[in-house]
Amino acid sequence: MPRITFDNVRKNFGKSVVIEGFSADIADGEFLVLLGPSGCGKSTMLRMIAGLTDTSEGDISFDGESVNALEPRERNIAFVFQSYALYPHMSVLDNIAFPLIMDRFKPWYHLPILNSIVRRMIRNSPEVKDRVLEVAKILELEPLLDRRPRTLSGGQRQRVAVARALVRDPEVYLLDEPLSNLDAKLRTQMRAEITGLYRKVKKTFIYVTHDQVEAMTMASRIIVMDEGVIRQIGTPEEIYHSPADTFVARFIGSPPMNLIPGAVMSDRVVLPGKQELKVQNIPSVLGGQTLVGVRPETIRIASSAKESVRATVVSVENLGAETVLGFVFCNDANSDSLLTRDNQSTFFAKLEGSHSLTEGAEIFLTIDTTNIRWFDPDSGSAFLDLS
Amino acid sequence: MNRAGRKLGQLASRLLLIAFILIASFPIYWMFNTSLATDSELFGSGQKFVPQLQRLNEVPQNLAEIEILKLLGNSAFIATGVTVLSFILAVMAAYALSRFKFHGKGISGFFLFSTQMMPEALLVVPLFALFAGFGLLNDLTGLVLANTAFTMPVAVFIMKTAIDKIPYEIEESAKVDGCSPYGQLGMIVIPLILPSLAAAAVINFFDGWNEFLFANSFITDQDLWPASVGLAQFMGQYSTPLSTVMAAALVFTLPAIAFFLLVQRQIISGLTAGAVKG
Repeated sequence: MPRITFDNVRKNFGKSVVIEGFSADIADGEFLVLLGPSGCGKSTMLRMIAGLTDTSEGDISFDGESVNALEPRERNIAFVFQSYALYPHMSVLDNIAFPLIMDRFKPWYHLPILNSIVRRMIRNSPEVKDRVLEVAKILELEPLLDRRPRTLSGGQRQRVAVARALVRDPEVYLLDEPLSNLDAKLRTQMRAEITGLYRKVKKTFIYVTHDQVEAMTMASRIIVMDEGVIRQIGTPEEIYHSPADTFVARFIGSPPMNLIPGAVMSDRVVLPGKQELKVQNIPSVLGGQTLVGVRPETIRIASSAKESVRATVVSVENLGAETVLGFVFCNDANSDSLLTRDNQSTFFAKLEGSHSLTEGAEIFLTIDTTNIRWFDPDSGSAFLDLS
Repeated sequence: MNRAGRKLGQLASRLLLIAFILIASFPIYWMFNTSLATDSELFGSGQKFVPQLQRLNEVPQNLAEIEILKLLGNSAFIATGVTVLSFILAVMAAYALSRFKFHGKGISGFFLFSTQMMPEALLVVPLFALFAGFGLLNDLTGLVLANTAFTMPVAVFIMKTAIDKIPYEIEESAKVDGCSPYGQLGMIVIPLILPSLAAAAVINFFDGWNEFLFANSFITDQDLWPASVGLAQFMGQYSTPLSTVMAAALVFTLPAIAFFLLVQRQIISGLTAGAVKG
């Protein structure tokens, strides 16, 4: 079973650089998610692993052996396309059987007439038929085997595409945004099914998505990419709680991490509006201006001014189980909150339960200082190993 | 529009349609009618509007005299040859032009389609010289080659347009499944463009079937005449067996119609619907 290694992989399309120096390791049996905004190069990366796109420079190795020169079929992979790419002129049964038929295909089977006879013979052979039925059973496709893809619903087509990937029992499953064409409810269901499949087959999965929920719920490790560059590699917890830079901090979480500009004093940070936040154990290397990373759910409403900051509510989104609060910091020197609102950006707090707050109300907020991340305002990278 | 108005419009369009069909089919009817008339009727003024069905049993005899089967056989050889040869060449050319990146792709496509800009008559003389050199005069394969050269680019154009519409991911998927390039063409692309293949086949077949100009110039051996040339030869200086020629012309159109009906069922599109979510 392969361990996949990327050694400084680059990809240019003409003059535009799509992937810049991609180096990473994927362990065997891992569920790796390539996460990033559209156009970040994650699909290109997946296609290079599959061999559908050539690398411009660098090596992709399976178990230490370069696969750069290998054709897709020699890499023992399966690829699930975003559009499913089912064969429209074949029944579901033939679609699933196709990889197995190709495994047993000889060059002279290309001859017309002989071709269709041989394909039917291989498909009806017990070893192929049994395997197809076995896979169809796993994905609950048995009643649909005679149907054509165009008569299937989106979720059913998705299942057929997965079945076709599963049938040859490949070492690596490559999935390119497989759920993006499904509606929200079906997406949740298929997410669980793919995770279940991963547990069942115990093979390496590489999954491309721009949806952070899919990444967080399915991945054993995530690679966050932006503009062809790896921003961070880590488990979902690491990505969420210790983002490597401001890009990851802004990309993950809904609403994303607040990046509040602050000036570091000895035991406190001065936030916008001259609001002061007492923080124990401020990393000593920090001095002067910094970005304070605060997850919205670590902010709570306080009853008194003690150890809290004053803020003005600018938006309230009551979702029932939680309330997302947009706020700006009040200006302590001059309590004209309209002025401060113009001068600073809106931050967000995620509160449990329903809160009936009105826009414009002044409130006190406490910030859980134990989970604060610190970022360099110039480079955007995090001070990670300080606390 | 109200209901009565819509009905009236529908009626008008149907009447118009019927008128067009009558105008289009009248020559065929008249061909049939003429084939059953006697010479005296034809060259006098007595041709009746109603076909003289009682003469129907004389027609096979008349057709046998002009060796219609030999003529049709030659036409069929040319038409089938052109259709098969253009199909093989055009499918591969169209696939390459649609999917592959290679140097000179634009220019080769241009040259292919530029053959359509020249009238065939312009090339009769140079082709005659060429065919004389290759010993292709008085040879039906020569006619197959000449007609394929003229009609294949049309087939390429039709097929390329169809292949362009197939999502490339379907072939990539086949590639991952272990399908060779020929397999992708034969097992994925061709089945998906069947309607366009049928349309191209109709065009190529009719081009070969209707071949006249080259055959008239290159074939002097009477045994190798296709039906089109053969029929023309009966238009004699002194006599023209008009009813027999008309009967032969009618028979000449039948295989073409049969071929069209055969592939017509395939000329339905929408086969790719459902390949990708759309």
